[in-house]
Amino acid sequence: MSAEIVERVLAFIAAFVVGGTAIFQLKNELPARGLDASVTKVLLGLMIVGCVFAVLASVRVLGG
Amino acid sequence: MSALNSPLEAVEARYLDVDPVYAETRDIRLLGFVMALGADCVLFSSFIFAYLYLRTASPAWPPFVGGHQLPRLDTAFAALNSMVLFGSGVTMHYALENWKHLKKQAFNGWLAATIVLGILFLLGQGHEYLSAQMTWQGSSFGASFFTLTGMHGFHVLVGVCYLIVLMIQSNRGVYTGSKYFGLTAGTLYWHFVDVIWVFLFFLFYLW
Repeated sequence: MSAEIVERVLAFIAAFVVGGTAIFQLKNELPARGLDASVTKVLLGLMIVGCVFAVLASVRVLGG
Repeated sequence: MSALNSPLEAVEARYLDVDPVYAETRDIRLLGFVMALGADCVLFSSFIFAYLYLRTASPAWPPFVGGHQLPRLDTAFAALNSMVLFGSGVTMHYALENWKHLKKQAFNGWLAATIVLGILFLLGQGHEYLSAQMTWQGSSFGASFFTLTGMHGFHVLVGVCYLIVLMIQSNRGVYTGSKYFGLTAGTLYWHFVDVIWVFLFFLFYLW
């Protein structure tokens, strides 16, 4: 198995684990109020988008 | 600080040492910190828009240098390295949550994991630089890639140093169950660094 395939498989698995955990954290953060909580929610949301990018990149839908 | 089992116990203990001056100034300090992150956003945005201009003005991307088109960057490795950084965002969030619930040992573990993942990301970025088939001066692609990812890498490096300082301070009793603004700021900064990478990852590797 080539290094590239190993990297893609690891990235795919990690993206699901990290993305799932980030969704869980965002869900827990939703009731919180205040500036820090609001900023954290936005940043966690964008990080979940990053995980989606990583999934799409690992299956070659994005990035070739 | 000892580990407390029930969330109620933790919340009660947290408010035992409320400092009125801290409570009054916390929101202003937080606003100032968020504004500093906003300023950093403007800095990155300027360079990102310069990259977008260069890219859209170029007839081919990656551009041709000396009659040969530059190769695309290694997406597979970048995806894995991105997950290292995003993973560190998750661990940092858990570190702060554990501090809020007065679980110091778990806090230390998650914070140490964040620092290790941050260093791993920097090593991955170093590997990427060494294996890149372009130079800073050679093309607009190389110039924008090294400038933006270098600037981001510098932010990660600063973040790693910041987290190490936070770890030392928290173990020396600088922060308490009710006074932990430094930890909140550290978490926000680390999430911010993660999010900047989301944009850079998309622009340089996926688009």
